[in-house]
Amino acid sequence: MTVMRDTVVKSLAKINVQGDENGLIPEYEVLVNLLPVSLLNTFTERIMAAAPADRKAEVEAGLVRAAYECGYHTGCGIITSEIFNDVVMPMVTEGEKDILRGAYAAFTAWGWAKSGIVQLKEGEKMIIRAFDYYEADSGGEGLRAYMLRGLSQAFFDLAYADPYPDGMDTYVCHQTKGIEVGDPYGEFVVTKK
Amino acid sequence: MPVQYEESMAAGKGDTSLKGNLSLTNITDLLQFLSSSAKSGMIQLVRHPGGQEGKIHFVAGELVSAVSGDLAGLEGLADLLAWDQGTFHFQPGAVASKTNVGLSVQHAIMEAVVLLDKQVKENQSNPTKAVEERSLDMQGGRGSNEVLNDLLEISGIDAVVVVGRDGFVIESAGSSARVNIDELGASLAHAINGIEEMGSELNVDRFQDMFIEYGRAVILCKPVGDAVAAVITPDASKLGIIRHKTKKLFEELSHSF
Repeated sequence: MTVMRDTVVKSLAKINVQGDENGLIPEYEVLVNLLPVSLLNTFTERIMAAAPADRKAEVEAGLVRAAYECGYHTGCGIITSEIFNDVVMPMVTEGEKDILRGAYAAFTAWGWAKSGIVQLKEGEKMIIRAFDYYEADSGGEGLRAYMLRGLSQAFFDLAYADPYPDGMDTYVCHQTKGIEVGDPYGEFVVTKK
Repeated sequence: MPVQYEESMAAGKGDTSLKGNLSLTNITDLLQFLSSSAKSGMIQLVRHPGGQEGKIHFVAGELVSAVSGDLAGLEGLADLLAWDQGTFHFQPGAVASKTNVGLSVQHAIMEAVVLLDKQVKENQSNPTKAVEERSLDMQGGRGSNEVLNDLLEISGIDAVVVVGRDGFVIESAGSSARVNIDELGASLAHAINGIEEMGSELNVDRFQDMFIEYGRAVILCKPVGDAVAAVITPDASKLGIIRHKTKKLFEELSHSF
């Protein structure tokens, strides 16, 4: 038995989107919000457009960092949550590899991107492919799926680096393909830093 | 028939002989052609370079015997199927001195391909080498989309899909009105999980390939690296040739996953 993606998606997609008095949705032992993706894309577009040409790389790195920090802490919350334990963990037979499969299935269930693992060399390298991710609709130039880059790096750190919270910044993620530049899918490669 | 044979008439005798080069066609295509036209006779083969000789006898399109050097029967046929350079000559009416295969062409090809697979597996039995090769393969090689497109060019294949062990559809090509690709991915993952558990219980090693024949579609799947590739074909009539022709492409695909 390994983690069955459709089982995870069907179980986790039953999220209650009713926010509390602050608009926050307590699910899977983390707090999430329900915002239109156009807001997130517009934020990225504006901040990149406002950056001077010689500092765009730094701003880009900052956007990836924001996604990474969020992904690292939220990701830990998800994979240690009760529901993940109930739904995913009984199917885990291949250790960290299966936990990552479950994490990407959860990511898909939440509607962030239809994404999954293409190749995985344990502790060394991972290739992720993503379809219909919201950043593909953003305006701008070049590869710009900052959220998916940061999140993929965070997931791999959680799986193979030192235990949370000491494993940050062990791996790095590069985007090699993107729907936003005309490729059929987005592709992300995680390797050691 | 997509290949060209040099067909010559023996002057005055009225019989037809079929000659050609294995660089233009392959033995599997030739067997399929002769089977479909219910020929009786012998294919004589000479391998290049080296000059090794082989013979395959038919009666009414059925394969009755195969010989390649010292190898006879299915072993001989398996050896012949691996030849990619040489010449062939079909001699109508030639009769085999004895039967050492006695199967339909489709069945004989499938059995011979199983033998070939087994030989390849035995040659790759060094696990350390396999891991090293996979590590290198992850760094480059022909793109998986190119290999999928080559698979689609095989006659009879409607669609090809590569699925992660968790059911994630990594890549697909072609289209099949018979099957929803996303549902196929999830279903295959569940089926293969069950099959691997059975293999483990029975202690018969890992799963190598699987055919599922339904009323309106046939699905052939095989592990490619850490994923599973599946091809969809409308019926089982070309399964032997599809299995043979997909073999190398599946191997190539395994370098990408």
